Amino acid sequence: MRTRLLLAAGAVAAWLLPYGLDSYAIHVVDVILIFAILAIGLGLAMGIAGQVNLAQVAVFGVGAYVTAILTTRAGLGFWVAAVLAVLATVVIGLVIGVPALRVQSHYLGIVTLGLALAFTSWVTNAQASGGAEGISGIPVPELPGVDLSSEYLYYYLELIVFAILLAFGLFVVRTSLGRRMRAMRDDALAAGSLGAEVPVLRMAAFLLASVYGGLGGVLYAGLIRYVAPESFNIANMFLLLGMVIIGGRQSLVGCVVGAVGLALVREALVDHPQIAQIAYGSVVVLVVVFAPTGLAGLPVRVRSAVARRRGRQGAAARLKPFQPYDPEPSRRDGETILQVDRVTKQFRGLKALDDVSLTVAAGEIRGVVGPNGSGKTTLFNVISGLYKPTRGRVRFRDADRTGDAPYRLARAGLSRTFQNLRLFGDLTVEENILVARDRSRTWESWRYLLRPISVLRRDRELHRHARDVLDRYGLAEFAALAPKSLPYGIQRRVEIARAVAAGPALLLLDEPAAGLNGEEVRQLAEIVRSIRDSGITVIIIEHNMGLVMTLCERVTVLAGGRIIADGTPAEVARTPAVIEAYLGDSMTAGDLPPISEVTR
Amino acid sequence: MPRLRATAIIPLLLLAASAGCSAPGANDDDAKSGSGPIKIALVDAQSGQLSSLGAWELKGARLAVDEWNAAGGVNGRQIQLDVFDDQGDPTTGTTLARKIDSEGHIAMIGTAESAVTIAMAPILKQAEIPNITSGQSPGLVAAGSEFLFLNGPTSTTYDETLAKYIVDKQGLKSIAMITNNGSYGKGEHDAFLKALSSRNVVPVADQVVTTDQKDFSAVLTGIRQKNPQVIFVGAEEVESGLIVKQARDLGITVPFAGAAPQGTPVFLDTAGAKNAEKTIVSSPYLSNDVSDASKKFAAAYKAKYNEDAELHGAKAYDGTQILLTALKSSNVATGKALADAIRGTKYQGLLGDFAYDQTGVGIFATSIGTIQNGKLVAVTG
Amino acid sequence: MQVFLQTIIGGVSLGAVYALVALGFSLVYRTMGLVNFAHGNVVTVGAYLASTFYLTSKLPFALAMVIAIAVTGAIGLVIERVLRPLENRDFDLMLIGTIGFGIVLDALVIAIWGATGRAVPSPVQTEPIDLLGLRIRTYDLVVLAIAAAATVLLVLFLSRTKRGAAMQAVAMDHEAATAVGIHVGRSNAIAFMIGAGLAALAGGLVGPLLYVSPALGGALGIKGFAAAILGGFGSIPGAIVGGLAIGVLDSFTAGHFQGYSELVTFIVFTVIIMVRPTGVFGERTVNRA
Repeated sequence: MRTRLLLAAGAVAAWLLPYGLDSYAIHVVDVILIFAILAIGLGLAMGIAGQVNLAQVAVFGVGAYVTAILTTRAGLGFWVAAVLAVLATVVIGLVIGVPALRVQSHYLGIVTLGLALAFTSWVTNAQASGGAEGISGIPVPELPGVDLSSEYLYYYLELIVFAILLAFGLFVVRTSLGRRMRAMRDDALAAGSLGAEVPVLRMAAFLLASVYGGLGGVLYAGLIRYVAPESFNIANMFLLLGMVIIGGRQSLVGCVVGAVGLALVREALVDHPQIAQIAYGSVVVLVVVFAPTGLAGLPVRVRSAVARRRGRQGAAARLKPFQPYDPEPSRRDGETILQVDRVTKQFRGLKALDDVSLTVAAGEIRGVVGPNGSGKTTLFNVISGLYKPTRGRVRFRDADRTGDAPYRLARAGLSRTFQNLRLFGDLTVEENILVARDRSRTWESWRYLLRPISVLRRDRELHRHARDVLDRYGLAEFAALAPKSLPYGIQRRVEIARAVAAGPALLLLDEPAAGLNGEEVRQLAEIVRSIRDSGITVIIIEHNMGLVMTLCERVTVLAGGRIIADGTPAEVARTPAVIEAYLGDSMTAGDLPPISEVTR
Repeated sequence: MPRLRATAIIPLLLLAASAGCSAPGANDDDAKSGSGPIKIALVDAQSGQLSSLGAWELKGARLAVDEWNAAGGVNGRQIQLDVFDDQGDPTTGTTLARKIDSEGHIAMIGTAESAVTIAMAPILKQAEIPNITSGQSPGLVAAGSEFLFLNGPTSTTYDETLAKYIVDKQGLKSIAMITNNGSYGKGEHDAFLKALSSRNVVPVADQVVTTDQKDFSAVLTGIRQKNPQVIFVGAEEVESGLIVKQARDLGITVPFAGAAPQGTPVFLDTAGAKNAEKTIVSSPYLSNDVSDASKKFAAAYKAKYNEDAELHGAKAYDGTQILLTALKSSNVATGKALADAIRGTKYQGLLGDFAYDQTGVGIFATSIGTIQNGKLVAVTG
Repeated sequence: MQVFLQTIIGGVSLGAVYALVALGFSLVYRTMGLVNFAHGNVVTVGAYLASTFYLTSKLPFALAMVIAIAVTGAIGLVIERVLRPLENRDFDLMLIGTIGFGIVLDALVIAIWGATGRAVPSPVQTEPIDLLGLRIRTYDLVVLAIAAAATVLLVLFLSRTKRGAAMQAVAMDHEAATAVGIHVGRSNAIAFMIGAGLAALAGGLVGPLLYVSPALGGALGIKGFAAAILGGFGSIPGAIVGGLAIGVLDSFTAGHFQGYSELVTFIVFTVIIMVRPTGVFGERTVNRA
């Protein structure tokens, strides 16, 4: 109710705004609105999807230039040109996004920045784009009964487009597609292991950003009716970046606030550009150090600071007991679900896995033990598709899955947890579950445009399912909290709940008992048994021998990358090689080799 | 809940009150006539890479305005020169064009950057604000605004004079060209190439560089192999200087030729006086000693700013003088009447005798000079 | 053939400067995993400082360089100190923080020295060497020699001194380094200081070669960055090879594609990165993301 009132007030204020402005001020406002649209696009790519896209200004330029060229050179009408311009922008946006499939973070930053420079270089030289002098004489967009050469009326056109784009952006962020993007931003590896099609999502992020950039460009061409290379240079890119960072990159409304705020400050200091630049540069530094969530994050931070001072009222959230699953009567136990066939994994001189073969039957709880550095986690990484084996095959559910991308394996029914907990830090507990529960395909996102209601309906359904999962794991009271704020044991439980929410046939648990106390370990054993009884095969890496011996039906022992024993817990414990391998070996730090995003 | 409703209503009421019942923007008409100071806008790059041009312009224009104000202004009204910074960015220019309109300036001086002026032209035309620019690109003429005037010749004139001297007088036919792809360089490229082809001369090399290029060894080595007799440079001061400096390092000894930038102190500093020796320059204002008027101007300039006057200051001075003369002759007319008054103004300035034609160009001659002992010296005969 | 060789010579001398810039990037990156986007602006500051002391204060060129390096080293320390709270927490935020510093430095340079720039006469006045029609500027040789010397000193520092060894340890595994009592913050600070010093060295050297202006560092920074990535980010030999490669590539595209040279350079760069993200010497990426 309150948000609706504020929204209505904002809308009325925006509608009446031009009445109080002179002809110059309305021009400034018109330009600000365009920057706000660009900032939303950049926020979607950078803040929501985590793609460092420093080419947004070039995408903006493509939109403006294509409109200019098609109207002045080809003689097309403004709106026809506008549609073609947006299409062209989308194509260019996807091209700019291609490097994101290979590189991330700062590499992506420099590549996109380079492509933005390449764009400026092209328009400065090409005949079609009018060279350094640019293109003037872009016609006024025509709308029956509305004279858009008046900047007051143009404002309303922009306002409507802006409102639609902002609403659409928020719609995306709060539903399936945006949630997946945010999960990918927080942890691309974990998102992939939960079935998020990381490459498709990255391209979707660039596509969204370029649609916003292109529309901004079209509006710019119609407003200024002139384009030149300087308007799309790197300084403006950094200005746009400043807007998004200061406003708060993870909130689209924040991006808008940043765009409006920074543009107004610049306007106020228009005669002192150096001072303005020093000021906004310093604010960017201060924001990243002291308020990484930007202006948009301030209310939350203030509220939580106040809450802390008053003594935690929110400490009431309690963990409830786990409610066991109903045993699945029609389990097809005994069939082979996973077959690892002579797998070798080599890292530059180091053989992490050496000729490992392993067969797991459906319905089993399989333990994998071994000293540190024996290759346990590497084995998990190979099975779940994070590593491609140097030699050997992996068959999962009667299909050869060797070298398949993690998200494909996840969709085929494989789910896992991580040794060092990989929860999506900036998502709530419930959203963590939702991401896993969501099995829709990313390419189905066309529904956002054509069948938004069906998207909403499906999202409601997802929420219901997620609630069920949270209730079952006794996590309902933590639903709206950030995972990082929770005790370690509860985070472990959230990760298991998340992995099971994905509805797998095979669940890989990597040291689920690490850091848990005795009571928590007992609960864990209960949970794992119940998961198995519900029809999910479980493989578990664990150092806690007590847990392994009581929980697992079969145990595989790795040492130095080779299997040295395989059998029931009792058999394995008697094997001389196992005793030897464990003598004098401490069991402390982790053995997950760094998984580099860049090298993948 | 009542509190919330109140917050929603307050801005609404405020806006409604300020709005009255009219459509937005209906009271756009501003006080362009009447008493009080006459407001003239100077728009130029006061920051960014081209700010040296902007600074020179401002000094020249300010000098002219101060002289008129000291003599009692126009029709007893003082002239108010307001400075706006376009940062060398055309888009900022379009914003400023709207700003000077809404603030009631009746005329504009500037800019020194053709691309910015071209971007501003349609808006100034719509707002009927006459503009005297220091740009020289033929594109300014092509903009086709009857409110746009140049305070100097176009590149066509500069390069026609240059080609006439080099080809016709000196008989040099083996000519290489280096131009940049910026708006100035492109204008120079087209104008000089046209002047050459009308003389049936094909340049032995036609190299294009970027505006921010710093290493020219590749293009210069290519040119060296063609053994030209003279090298035409179409680039701004600094880049021209770098090209000349690096050419000498590569063992190129033939003279360079170019338009206004090659006559400036910045060019000499960057290239080094020794390297710039014998450079052929086409300029409407070769030095401060060409006439009595220029000597007087140079003395006043030196007294006011404690530095030597140069071409851009002189051009802005001329342009401002023409505007103020037209204001006086038209009894402080505005809009179309003022533009017509400018077109009708005959003025003997530092650059020569101005008489505007329909395209907004008022002067059609430049002189040739060469750099000798680090100084630009007029070529006689 | 002569054009070909002369183009290479032109590319190599600028390439040496790119290599110095790339070294600064790489050193900071290998030590703390951070890309310093303000690096280019530090180059500009260094160039202005060196030229100011050389031209205005009339100090000998070498002394002017030393002072410039010292001052920019201090700037490097400030940047590191301010961004330290973000260390190992959020990469992208730190990266944006350095962009913020870049924006501030850029404006400061213009506020202090103006927007127009200045020409710096070459401190070596000898005529260029003529070698079978190839012209080699003596100053180019000086630049190459200094760049080589700086690289050797850096390698010696990293391999032979205790401080350097500590930094190497931090580069390899910063948690283990902390465990054996190495002050990671101090290591990072030193890396940042040396990185900034290298930037000033590059800026100071390039001044007489080109023209000192506020835009100088931007161009050098992005080419130096490209060089560091091309060679293999974090790798010292990679920075050298990458720098020279970008220098020569740049020189050739300028000759062949004229106005479009920048377009071609960046597209070639993008393609190389996509084919081989780890660069030429990218044996192991020190990615802690």
